[in-house]
Amino acid sequence: MTDHLQQTPEVKERFAQIYEREAILEVQHLGKRYVTAKGETEALRDINFRVHRRELVCVIGPSGCGKSTLIRILAGLESLSSGAVLVDGKPVSGPGRDRGMVFQGYSLFPWLTVKGNVMFGPEMSGHPHNIADGMARQWLELVGLTKFADAYPHELSGGMRQRVAIARALVNEPRILLMDEPFGALDAQTRAKMQSHLLDIWKNLDITILFITHDLDEAIYLADRILVLKAHPGEVQELIEVPVPRPRTPGQSMTAEFRATRAHLESLIHPPEVEAGTPEEAAVLGQSHMIRFTNVTDNVE
Amino acid sequence: MIARKLGSFLLPLLVWSLVSYLPFIWHPKVQVEAPGGVDYFLPGMLVDREEFAQQSADMRQQGLALPTGVPANPIYLPAPHQVAKALYTAFTTEPEQKDAPWLHESLWQSIQIILWGFLLSSAIGVPLGIVCGTYQSVGRLSEPFIEFFRYLPAPAFGALAVAVLGIYDGPKIAIIVIGTFFQQVLIIANTTRKLEATLIEAARTLGTRGVRLITRVVLPGILPDLYRDQRILLGWAWTYLIVAELIGTSSGITFFITQQARYQHFENVYAAMLIIGVIGFGSDLLLGRLGHFLFPWDRTRDRT
Amino acid sequence: MTSRRTPNLMRRWLTQALLPLAAMACSLGAQAAPPLKVGYSDWPGWVAWQVAIDKGWFKEAGVDVKFEWFDYSASMDAFAAGKIDAVTMTNGDALVTGAGGAKSVMIVLTDYSNGNDMIVAKAGIKSVADLKGKKVAVEQGLVEHLLLENALKKVGMKDTDVTLVNAKTNEMPQVLTAKDVVAVGAWQPVSGEAMKAVPGSHPIYTSADEPGLIYDGVAVNPASAKARRADWLKLVKVWDKVVAYIDDPKTQPDAVKIMAARSGITPAEYLPLLKGTKLLSLAAGSKVYVKGEGFTSLYGSTKIVDGFNLKEGVYKAPQNVDSYLDPSFTNAK
Repeated sequence: MTDHLQQTPEVKERFAQIYEREAILEVQHLGKRYVTAKGETEALRDINFRVHRRELVCVIGPSGCGKSTLIRILAGLESLSSGAVLVDGKPVSGPGRDRGMVFQGYSLFPWLTVKGNVMFGPEMSGHPHNIADGMARQWLELVGLTKFADAYPHELSGGMRQRVAIARALVNEPRILLMDEPFGALDAQTRAKMQSHLLDIWKNLDITILFITHDLDEAIYLADRILVLKAHPGEVQELIEVPVPRPRTPGQSMTAEFRATRAHLESLIHPPEVEAGTPEEAAVLGQSHMIRFTNVTDNVE
Repeated sequence: MIARKLGSFLLPLLVWSLVSYLPFIWHPKVQVEAPGGVDYFLPGMLVDREEFAQQSADMRQQGLALPTGVPANPIYLPAPHQVAKALYTAFTTEPEQKDAPWLHESLWQSIQIILWGFLLSSAIGVPLGIVCGTYQSVGRLSEPFIEFFRYLPAPAFGALAVAVLGIYDGPKIAIIVIGTFFQQVLIIANTTRKLEATLIEAARTLGTRGVRLITRVVLPGILPDLYRDQRILLGWAWTYLIVAELIGTSSGITFFITQQARYQHFENVYAAMLIIGVIGFGSDLLLGRLGHFLFPWDRTRDRT
Repeated sequence: MTSRRTPNLMRRWLTQALLPLAAMACSLGAQAAPPLKVGYSDWPGWVAWQVAIDKGWFKEAGVDVKFEWFDYSASMDAFAAGKIDAVTMTNGDALVTGAGGAKSVMIVLTDYSNGNDMIVAKAGIKSVADLKGKKVAVEQGLVEHLLLENALKKVGMKDTDVTLVNAKTNEMPQVLTAKDVVAVGAWQPVSGEAMKAVPGSHPIYTSADEPGLIYDGVAVNPASAKARRADWLKLVKVWDKVVAYIDDPKTQPDAVKIMAARSGITPAEYLPLLKGTKLLSLAAGSKVYVKGEGFTSLYGSTKIVDGFNLKEGVYKAPQNVDSYLDPSFTNAK
């Protein structure tokens, strides 16, 4: 079995290129503490990483690792307790047009048509109506929804809605696109389609993406690098370079590099000792005298 | 849709008709036609069936003339045709009193009171409600007082309203405003709070800030619900009308009801109640339709 | 007409509590110049003014007056707030309103209740004496309570000899249907409805048994009475014409038609209500407007009501009865 650290020369070359590019997003010693009724909780501790121009970084981690908090801080929707977030070298405070965001629950404006939703950003930045209209059409074409320009969000499927959300975020031409488990609510098939669609868009645009997911395959399929967080408090566990060569295809999931990476991620997120759980849990699982709710003769084994 | 709504009126109407026209169903009274030998009976008087039987038996024993009568319902339950007739005559007969308003004029007077009261209340209540719902700090500052104030019965302000606003329409409108406003602020603040937070967050990441968050996101976001709230509140305003119209000079449809009830003319009372019901229900139906047209994106619209 | 008498005490207190505010508010808006504004409400003696209104007699008399139709308690509120110059009310309510701060002078008597107020008893009760130890419902502190006291006194009994049940006057017809209540106190048309509700029930004591128990009249803001005395005198003169028109059998049907229309009922229904009211011409009024004891004097009657109001806690300090009554308008030639 190959190791996830083994990279082909091409992949190595690619990473070298990436690191030569300027850093779009830089996170330095980021910490986040909440004060709750029960006292202070530390959600994030000393997070450090940087994302380079046109890089696609995925963030994964067990539940409670604070990955959503992290992306909300990056978007400026929440404040940080310590450290700094720099976009193009400038510290961020509050939301801004340089960071587009796509939410898990679509968050489209239900009272606006598909086109209206996409026009919202340009109108907010003061573009006149006809210019905003033109921009919206262009981006709708890119995500393949020209036909649905005048439909309302509730008339669209989940996948289509998320494409509108992506177009709505991209029309502002942000430096980085922040995506918070955007495909989490979609069924497996739609999800696979949306992943390739996203890669297409990413390939054709000058856009940097930070993508949160809890799906390991999705992370490996999409990412250049994967930031693995661990929980309580959220800390960086590892920042992995994905050795799977580009262009990515769904068929690559059976390749050695893919499987090695997956196995490694698996071991990070679900370590063996955690698998067994606490002694009490193990005891419950191992119990032999479970009460039967069926007739004893009606044996399924 | 409308047919189905009207259908729900048929059953009560049927019950009312049956009780009114089939003597064996209820009719606990006897309307005296000729008093016979009973000293206190008068033609047209309603007496209990048992009482009538008792008196008839007494008269028979004493060899006096028997009273005659027909089964009847109590005075407070007129038959449908009586109410229908009262409704018809109310609109077609000139008022007895010189210069007195026709019923439709009284009605229009009442509707104006409601509309002005509701408009004034909304002009302040809706923006305030939205601001309270949007900014926690404003809500925390103003809502406890409003919460307190809404328990004060609007009718109690009658004398004060007259003192400040005179004896004509002013105090009546004020009562409607007092009765509506405080509920309005709280209900609309609550509706505003129920707006999905991510919509505001999404707008912020798209570069929206300040007042435009309210005008471009909060307001359109809550508009269908706000519209529904306003429909309910308008109905609420109607319930204060009867109090409002007893303040200052007597006027309007509900004063007509009060006056007629005092003299036990229940067919007129029911006719007027019917008119109010029809106006209220009709306008709400209309506003509901208008809502469908105005808010094509509203997914909850089929529920109302 | 059920609202002719003082509404419940709570409401009265509330009105009084709000009065300082009301006074403040009306001091802001300057008192309007002419016409005179008179609030009137649904009681035969007051509805009678409608005849003069419809016939245009005020114009003939050269007085600019505007009658405003109110619910009774609302009319007193409007008077207390200084929004009208005069209001039609009972002598007792004039005291209550005055105790709350809105003093008035009664310049003309319209009528006294002559049977419209009554104690209605069930068939088995033949007289007031039969009430002993039984349950009787009245609205406490109101005029029917006073009527009951008066009735009991005449047969040598007291309040405590019967069990008083406090109930709303409007609800008396239903109260009388209760098994253990043998009598209720109410005025027309409620008393009439009570008799209809319980066949065999009948009045055992009415205001006709004690004429002058309740006097009704026009109470004027003292300032206006002084400043516009000439106008008020003209208005008082019109009253005589009204009484004559109603009392004359030839013109009575027309008068009753006008009055019934004001109350929203038929003339036939109205007639009995009118019969229970003794309208007072100026001459008759003059006879009552003399100092004396007992119910035949307006002064005596008002003193008795004052005592009753004090006893029932309607207000705390005795009122100066004389200051509420001004016979000079009625006696003017």
